[in-house]
Amino acid sequence: MKLKKLAALGLAGAMVLSTAACGGGDSGSSDGDSGSSGGSGGGELSVSIWDTNQEPGINEILADFTEETGIKTKLTVVKWDEYWTMLEAGAQGGSLPDVFWMHSNESERYMSNDMLLDLTDKIAESDLIDPANYPEDVWGLYTHEDKYYAVPKDVDTIALWYNKTMFDEAELEYPTADWTWDDMFEAAKKLTKDDGSQYGLAIRNDNNQAGYYNMIHDNGGAIISEDKTKSEWDSPETIEAMEQLEEFIKAGVMPSIETMSENGEDVLFQSGKVAMVPQGSWMVAAYRDNEYTAENCDVVELPKSAATGRRSSVYNGLGWAASANGENTENAWKLIEYLGSEKAQQKQAELGVTMSAYEGTSDAWAKSADFNLQAYLNMMDDMVIRPYSKSTVTWENEDNEILKDVYTGDKSMADACKEMAEQMNEKLAEE
Amino acid sequence: MANSGKPAKTGREKSEFLWGWLFILPTVIGLVILNIIPIFQTIYQSFFKTGDFGKGNIFVGFENYSKVFGDSEVWQSLINTLKYAVVEVPFSIAIALVLAVLLNRKMRGRSVYRTIIFLPMVAAPAAVAMVWRWLFNSDFGLINNVFHLNVKWISDPKIAVYAVAVIGIWSILGYNMVLFLSGLQEIPGDYYEAASIDGATGIKSFFHITIPLLSPTIFFVLVTRVIGALQVFDLMYMVMDKSNPALDKTQSLVYLFYKYAFINKNMGYGATIVVLLLIITMIVTVFQMIGQKKWVFYN
Repeated sequence: MKLKKLAALGLAGAMVLSTAACGGGDSGSSDGDSGSSGGSGGGELSVSIWDTNQEPGINEILADFTEETGIKTKLTVVKWDEYWTMLEAGAQGGSLPDVFWMHSNESERYMSNDMLLDLTDKIAESDLIDPANYPEDVWGLYTHEDKYYAVPKDVDTIALWYNKTMFDEAELEYPTADWTWDDMFEAAKKLTKDDGSQYGLAIRNDNNQAGYYNMIHDNGGAIISEDKTKSEWDSPETIEAMEQLEEFIKAGVMPSIETMSENGEDVLFQSGKVAMVPQGSWMVAAYRDNEYTAENCDVVELPKSAATGRRSSVYNGLGWAASANGENTENAWKLIEYLGSEKAQQKQAELGVTMSAYEGTSDAWAKSADFNLQAYLNMMDDMVIRPYSKSTVTWENEDNEILKDVYTGDKSMADACKEMAEQMNEKLAEE
Repeated sequence: MANSGKPAKTGREKSEFLWGWLFILPTVIGLVILNIIPIFQTIYQSFFKTGDFGKGNIFVGFENYSKVFGDSEVWQSLINTLKYAVVEVPFSIAIALVLAVLLNRKMRGRSVYRTIIFLPMVAAPAAVAMVWRWLFNSDFGLINNVFHLNVKWISDPKIAVYAVAVIGIWSILGYNMVLFLSGLQEIPGDYYEAASIDGATGIKSFFHITIPLLSPTIFFVLVTRVIGALQVFDLMYMVMDKSNPALDKTQSLVYLFYKYAFINKNMGYGATIVVLLLIITMIVTVFQMIGQKKWVFYN
């Protein structure tokens, strides 16, 4: 009898657990889900990143760290969209991972709300980290009121990927560093086949950093004013550059927005449907490990503007940050210090994970794959930091929504630019 | 026990009372903590302009509500959600009912069929969505390639929401069917015998015996499925990319809530959207409760 009662209790308990699993679907409340982000105990450091392409390399570096210090780590990879949801819930519920990636889109919010561990004093005392060894702009992304909140992990620039086989087939010269955006357009026309089996180019509506932002800066335009209070979408230079993109769309040298949205530019490029695609240096590992791209494709500097002669690259850098309220902040700092050290940064470059932020490590990265990676390094000669403000995500997503209508042909680019400026100004005013 | 009037409890009654409550206690606690309290928190939150990470909320009264009522995106999402529900609910119930009746007979391989039809229920929704995303892909997808079509199933604004509803129907069929099967087994076989002696055909007895006697189960499935369909999120989220041009005409209210609350970090506005959904769900359910008197027969 007793046993039966116990069993029934156990069953009831199990039911509660299953309710827990399905419940909370429509609760817009603050129940920070500790299960997914896992504030770790037992001295093991939880580390969170969003890029699966970088996972093997980062794991290797973390293993080195464990060997050196005896501190164990556990790496979790969560896709970009869910990553920020997880981090948000973790921040609110007090269960952030011990160490994690920070991005310029979000850093301001986290820093100004004291979610990140203040690293200023630790960096000042450290023998391994000297701010002079990393690009100043990247520090700028993770500095709030003169305090450092993250150590730069990497820098990234943009370059143009092309499919050599398709160029050979169309009997065209490979792209060179002297190309203008117009040259690219001309080649794209010739590389596009009428039956839709092959397109010259792919720049999706949300490919801002690797795509049209570069065209805008080349043309002397901008996205956001220097003091981050006003949108520059409606400036004549910006509109002019975007109208060139509109030309690409109208000429049909790109797959339809439907196709690009269902498959993604990288997938289309990797499956030989698209001849050219501008991509960030963070994609190199993926293209190196893909048999088709490794064999058929290469990379070259971005084209420049015919009007101004400028060739710029939007760039950005991730940072390693730690939770302000973590239980293992001492160890978390040790890990960040290690990850930012010359040794780990050198290894990150050698493994081809990404370009490292530490100065003088780029040569090792250029040798990490059998492509013309020097192109990415050359793009560093003229760099513009990725436009950001406190609410970057909000206005950027809205921009992407509005641009969809240009891709489908329902709106002219000039109108879209004005609309984007309007909504962005509204959001900037609210910051 | 003879002297009634006073609720003097016997030892047995007391113990039953105690154990009864003890048994439902875990569920009750779960419901209160995971559902009831969050509902009130959500309503509370909908009156605030929420600050970052839940700090620095500013009370704004009904401002969020007046914005929601003037937001065409919200109304479009409501229409999308209703379109989805209007397709998913009737089809998933009708098909599941027919399948349940067919699989309630004695036949070879009955349990195999039942298992196969129930399988989608067991598969993770994310996996289901990934497979369908591939089936529906307009360039490389199986459906378009096998039938030599060029239909943009999930990126044409006119049909995308229905394509998503098809996935919804497919994945819920098994669950509905199992509920109907259990309902069918409650119906005594004598009725069918009597009917066939009187000369009723299979179709006739389906409409005049099966459906009326199964109506409590049908009603239960209908109510829960309508609520489920109004809350659809995972299918849209998994199948539709953010750059999809059909997203506007496909996103459900819960998807919009997710967008505002978790991507744009505007919890207050997100909360207002779900409160709107809650009210709509309640209204629909109340009408169903009233309507049931006309067609549901309890023995």
